[in-house]
Amino acid sequence: MPVVDGVRIAAGSQGARQFSQTMTMPAPNPPPSRRQFLGNGFRGAFLFLLGSVTTLLARRSRNQKTVWQIDPLKCVMCNNCATQCVLQPSAVKCVQVYAMCGYCKLCTGYFEPEPNRLTTAAENQVCPTGAIKRRALEDPYYEYSIDEALCIGCAKCVKGCVMFGNGSFFLQVRHDRCVNCNECSIALVCPGQAFMRVPSDEPYRLRERGQA
Amino acid sequence: MRGLGWLGFGGALGWISGSARAGKAAAEPGNRSLGPEFSYDLRGLGKTDPKLVQYQESGRYASGFKELRCIAVGPGGQVYLAGDRAIKVCTEPGSVLHEIALEEAPRCLAVGGDGALYVGMKDHVQVHRSPDVPGAKWETAGENAVLTSVAVGERDVFVADAGNRQVLHCDLGGKLLGRIGKKDPARNIPGFIVPSPYFDLAIGAEGLLWVANPGQHRLEAYTFDGDFEISWGEPSNAIAGFCGCCNPAHFAMLPDSRFVTSEKGLPRVKIYSRDGKFEGVVAGPEQFPKLIGNPRRAPVAIDVTVDSRGRVLLADPIENAVRIFTRLTES
Repeated sequence: MPVVDGVRIAAGSQGARQFSQTMTMPAPNPPPSRRQFLGNGFRGAFLFLLGSVTTLLARRSRNQKTVWQIDPLKCVMCNNCATQCVLQPSAVKCVQVYAMCGYCKLCTGYFEPEPNRLTTAAENQVCPTGAIKRRALEDPYYEYSIDEALCIGCAKCVKGCVMFGNGSFFLQVRHDRCVNCNECSIALVCPGQAFMRVPSDEPYRLRERGQA
Repeated sequence: MRGLGWLGFGGALGWISGSARAGKAAAEPGNRSLGPEFSYDLRGLGKTDPKLVQYQESGRYASGFKELRCIAVGPGGQVYLAGDRAIKVCTEPGSVLHEIALEEAPRCLAVGGDGALYVGMKDHVQVHRSPDVPGAKWETAGENAVLTSVAVGERDVFVADAGNRQVLHCDLGGKLLGRIGKKDPARNIPGFIVPSPYFDLAIGAEGLLWVANPGQHRLEAYTFDGDFEISWGEPSNAIAGFCGCCNPAHFAMLPDSRFVTSEKGLPRVKIYSRDGKFEGVVAGPEQFPKLIGNPRRAPVAIDVTVDSRGRVLLADPIENAVRIFTRLTES
């Protein structure tokens, strides 16, 4: 039974008829036109797209952490990596790309420019810290690898390899060691401007065959 | 007097303060230095003893290529240049007679006695008998092939394949007759060691095939049947030897069967006698200042050829120019 101003009105009575005539319920909305429907759809799609893009950008900016790395094509092998790093020994190490190596018996990255003999005796080795290991493979090929615990990143071996060989030795910042300073002390003085920030999910810049 | 005293006191205080700052800076890790054992210095090898120099540069001309790769001299004295994706046939001083466009970058070339041009691509040879007719492609040498040199005799063509470390022996039509240089202790064949794509060869006037074995720093002679005959050469940064880990990168033979060799890394062009004895220098490292001491540039080699007058022609890959060297007594 409807109630108007606290008075109950009996159904089917005159009062009820008057109530239904004067206090009409809101009329149902007319169905949207085709133009309105499409407009609303476009607005919704736009808002959805905007939200997605914003979320994606926010997520990416959260993930895009960067780290320091050396561009091997800009490196001028100046010794600064060994002397300027806040860590001792430096976080910069020589790395070896085996796919580029010639596995030479006379490796100019391993031997002094005029070695007495092609043996592993210290006086024949180019590395002052003995960080390059030489292992005989099938005659006459040898494998060369870097002992990173001994390497100080002086680039002496890199000079020998790049000058005469295939350039499979080069310097890289090793991220198991680098503390990722905001202002890298090596980058500040790098004469080749070889230091750069790279995404942490692609932290290395490797040389490839055919690169100058 | 009192003012002077205060001035002296202030100066002394400033000096002490400055010294203290300098001392602190010296103790910082950034100011460490390395001893002489950490330097790799070959500057002493960059100069050639003038007494050893037998040639001087008598001319040069631009190739017009962005990347000049190789050079050869034809029977008529024309100079053939390969670079970019074309061959240029030149006469001195560099006027181009005609140009042959190629589908890919050429890696080596040789000119037959009949004027046919044998161009080595990465994995196949193509023969051009006329500049207007497309070249005839030979069968591919395989997926791993990296062709680096071609030599043409009266009936034979030899192709150096650095990728497979062997020499392909073909007839003039491209039919494979044999393979030379595979390591075979039973035949006393040492095997080629080719660390980088520089693997040159030439046919000697005595009827032997001379092949550079760069990883062994020597030239080796083979019969056309593939029997190893003799070799000469030794590794050394000294002027008489071959420097670095793999040299000579290129060589050619003078009309009197002496050798002209070209090294990479420490760029040197030198003359050796018929039995491999060092005789003198055509061009030392000082002739190629942009090729030495540039740590950013991987070593590139200078292709070499000779003409019938015994002049040495170099394809300078940095200047992209042909450089002509003439014996000092003749110039």
